[in-house]
Amino acid sequence: MSAGMEFVLLTFMGLPLLMVLLNNLLKKEIAQKICLSLGIIAGIVQMAAAVFVFASLKAAGQTEADFSQFWDLGVGASRFSVDFFSLLVLFCIGMVITAGFLTAGKTLGDKKFNFTNLAMILLLGMNGIALVTDLFSLYVFLEITGVASFVMISLNKEGDGIEGAFKYLVMSAIATVFILGGLAFLFMQSGSLQYGDVAAALSDWQYAEQPALLIAGFVLVLVGFSIKSGVMPFHGWLPDAYQSAPAAVSVILGGIVTKMAGVYALLRLTADIFVNVPVFNQILMLLAIVSIVLGAVAAITQTDFKRILAYSSISQIGYILLGASCGSAVGLIGAMLHFFNHATFKTTLFVNSAAVEIATGTTEIEKLGGLQEKMPVTGVSSILAFLSTAGIPPLAGFWSKLLIIIAAWQTGNVFIAGLALFASIFTAAYFLRLQRCVFFGPAVEGLEDTKEVTGGVCLSSLALSAITVGFGLLFPALLLFLQGQGLI
Amino acid sequence: MGAMFGNMAAFMTGGSGVNLLWLMVVLPVALAVLAVAIPRHAFAARSACFLAATLADLLLAIALFIAKEGSMLLRWTDFEINLAFRVDPFSGAVLLALGIFAVLVAIYSVAFLRRKEKYGQFYCYYLLTLAMANGAVLADNLVVLLFFWEGLMVTLFGMLLIGDRQKPATAVKALVLNGIADLLLMLGVAATAAHAGTFMMEGISQLPIEGLGVLGFVCMMAGAVGKAGAMPFHSWIPDAADAAPLPFMAILPAAFEKILGIYLLVRITFQFYQMVPGSVMSIVVMAIGAITIVLANSMALIQKDIKRLLSYSTISQVGYMILGIGTALPVGIIGGLFHLINHVMYKCCLFLTAGSVEKQTGSTDMRYISGLGKLMPVTTVCFLTAALSISGVPPFSGFFSKELVFDAALESGMIFYIAAVLGAFLTAASFLKLGHAAYFGPLRLPEGVKTEDVKEVPGAMLLPMGILALGCLIFGVFNALPLSVIQPIAGEGYDFSGWPDNWTLVAISCAVLLLAVGNHLFGYRRTGEGLKAADHIRYAPALRTVYDCAEKRYFDPYDIIMQLIKGFAWICYGIDRAINWVYDVFAVDFVSGLSSRLRLMNNGSVGRYMAWSFLGVGFIVLLCLFLV
Repeated sequence: MSAGMEFVLLTFMGLPLLMVLLNNLLKKEIAQKICLSLGIIAGIVQMAAAVFVFASLKAAGQTEADFSQFWDLGVGASRFSVDFFSLLVLFCIGMVITAGFLTAGKTLGDKKFNFTNLAMILLLGMNGIALVTDLFSLYVFLEITGVASFVMISLNKEGDGIEGAFKYLVMSAIATVFILGGLAFLFMQSGSLQYGDVAAALSDWQYAEQPALLIAGFVLVLVGFSIKSGVMPFHGWLPDAYQSAPAAVSVILGGIVTKMAGVYALLRLTADIFVNVPVFNQILMLLAIVSIVLGAVAAITQTDFKRILAYSSISQIGYILLGASCGSAVGLIGAMLHFFNHATFKTTLFVNSAAVEIATGTTEIEKLGGLQEKMPVTGVSSILAFLSTAGIPPLAGFWSKLLIIIAAWQTGNVFIAGLALFASIFTAAYFLRLQRCVFFGPAVEGLEDTKEVTGGVCLSSLALSAITVGFGLLFPALLLFLQGQGLI
Repeated sequence: MGAMFGNMAAFMTGGSGVNLLWLMVVLPVALAVLAVAIPRHAFAARSACFLAATLADLLLAIALFIAKEGSMLLRWTDFEINLAFRVDPFSGAVLLALGIFAVLVAIYSVAFLRRKEKYGQFYCYYLLTLAMANGAVLADNLVVLLFFWEGLMVTLFGMLLIGDRQKPATAVKALVLNGIADLLLMLGVAATAAHAGTFMMEGISQLPIEGLGVLGFVCMMAGAVGKAGAMPFHSWIPDAADAAPLPFMAILPAAFEKILGIYLLVRITFQFYQMVPGSVMSIVVMAIGAITIVLANSMALIQKDIKRLLSYSTISQVGYMILGIGTALPVGIIGGLFHLINHVMYKCCLFLTAGSVEKQTGSTDMRYISGLGKLMPVTTVCFLTAALSISGVPPFSGFFSKELVFDAALESGMIFYIAAVLGAFLTAASFLKLGHAAYFGPLRLPEGVKTEDVKEVPGAMLLPMGILALGCLIFGVFNALPLSVIQPIAGEGYDFSGWPDNWTLVAISCAVLLLAVGNHLFGYRRTGEGLKAADHIRYAPALRTVYDCAEKRYFDPYDIIMQLIKGFAWICYGIDRAINWVYDVFAVDFVSGLSSRLRLMNNGSVGRYMAWSFLGVGFIVLLCLFLV
């Protein structure tokens, strides 16, 4: 590994810490002014670093690289590792963090300083989740992420935010108990929590001395991460938390945090650890399809912009997990790409909701209307994002959903694949309703003087929309690349 | 003259390098367009164009008749659906017949339609009909045949609409009944093509009637018989007689449709398929013929309007042709085809005489007109000749063709012979009644028509009638002339010309004719009126109810179909409403109900969320125990 790459790898862990230090060491007045720039820099540097590492790995012909943070990589030592998927995820994190900070300027007032501190710690936690290679470290970073997000949700110290944060906290605590308990059972069987060791111990789990313990182990782990990712029926906290969070926080929270804490972990578990446990996949598929359908159905009658997005997230998480649960390369790649697409379009939509909130002061869709002419950028980017969510070609969401449904079809569960396809109708239904209520038609009384939100919010909507469209158009090239890698 | 036609024939069929078969279709169409393009008030110019078109068609037809063989092929697709035309002696003769009748009726029409509205439309449809009929006869590909066949339906619909555009009931009725027949033909064409493996007619030869062939034969036969107007596709013709201009009746139901229907029937039964005498299919076809003869003649007998009576008589005469062809015996086929040509001549003539009566008196209802014989002597003579021919009086043409059919029917089964003889009796009785009521007896005219206004029709109308009446006599006395053309169609070595061989049958036929005369005299004595001479049959004990029902249209297949369709439409409406309800009401209510339920369940209570989670855990554990 080249020295340059080693240095760049350090940034994933080091840069957030550095930014927190900088933010707090600077004079308070200066920090108030530049703190958001620090966050934007961190996000952009992370994206650049992810691209750089990807290029280096590609040039070296490697698919993954292990590294540590100043300690020796001896036998049995904990270590970080990057592969293509974690790089994709790191890129997403950088993207969403940047969008969140761009949105924060107009929404947070004097909370920017605290926001920056917490967001950097959150970034650290999420990067950790992406990089770790053992279950216990995963748990540690999960907690870092969780704690940071509880505080961020209640950043405004208002009733709603505190209530939302409290629900998230309680449910996360239950999830943590489940996860820790499950890890204990797995540790009893394998004697190590390294991904590879656990996978090896589970390879012939039916013949283990006490298979019941193992089953208990993976059920607990599954439930724990399902709560964290908001899969139905463990989703109760999610809409409340999303709705009550401040605009910039809900961008980050909805765009990436719950996906990292729950969905990414579940993807890693299915891909790296529970490869030989088909039951795990079957249960996951069931949870996924329930989330897809019920999440979309529940979104149809919601009256709050952010709440619709929350239920939409539940439904889209279902798609990601459906792809992962197919146990095939196509499904996993579909899931990963949908992870990326979801981060893109859902962040766009949350940024749009933030823009609407800034411009009109509300996110109740009944009170909104006719904003298309007043806020053209927001309206158009919202249309693009929701078309992508509903899976309309040639936007990015179409391709990943297509791969997922193909993979589900290939497993032989035709009914589930059909249901997943059918749920797209509901997706289109709730987003059309949203679009019609908020953007179409004549302007509602009192909103005649609404103006487009300029600056960072607008910029991030445009950039994210460009990614959605561009990724969709260039997707065939990506498929060719994946084929060249022998992945599909 | 002969050399001229010889050269033309060579020219038409590609003998001189240029193939002009398509002119038979394109020329009438082009002149039809031209006739409509000429200004409305230039009656003479339009009529000249119209007559020129039919004459040109006749010349081309004569050339083809002389040429006997010829074909052209234009490749369109890879599926053997090519524009293919072919002439053989049979189709050449048919084209010639079409051409002759087209010219005769065209001359009559010009005189008849003088000073009438919408004559331009009539000209146009007339020429289009001619083009389509030519195309259907020339077609050497089943799809091309179907195309022209459907084209005939369109022109038929158009002609019926000329009468009264506001009340298209008759036109719709004709369209529905012909449409059903054509749909059956389409199905039959598909089945036949699948059975034979090709669409090209020249490649379809003597298929056995089995498996798919049964479907193909029966459906194509229904299409042909339906075009000819046999039962149960007949019921629009009497209605059309009330609605359409009279030349229409003379050219379409009386002439063209019979010629085309019987032409196709012969092609189907003896070229495409192999119908064996005595086979099931043969009996089916004969039964259609026999039933048509008896029922249609019974209806003809009680009509009080000349045009309606002639319409039913037209239907009944198709029965003879179908019966003759259905026997599958050479004598029957030749008799059927000979009867076809005779029928077209006398029935055309009869319709034209009815047209003359209508032109002069304004009515064809025999309750108001009577004793026209003295006022319109030439028309009366033409009528008498044609009526004698249709009744089968020797030595008129109808006698000879009917004898051939009787011969074949007797050979195939006594029941068919009895039906045919009964039909002959009823035919004779009907025409005795018609002639007696309309042309003889005391003079009676509709109100407002003065006796001095009713005089003989102009020469242009008399000429076609005269030619046709003369034809009836000539084809009877010199029956070798038409038979020499017809006999080769059935095969080599047949000769039925001259006087019939079977004297017993002739005697029976003559006895039946005398019986009809006796019956008429009996009825006339009873009521004292020619028109009511058949009333003792009309009001006979058992028949009375049946006739009452028939006059109330209880037996009209169209009305029965319409009732069925109403029921079907009602069912479809119900299904449609139900599907709509599923989409518009049920789906929406269900999804939004479920959605609101889910929304209300998320009421913000952490306890409840935890309860869900634990229920979920329980469910997963159960699932695990079940799956592992």
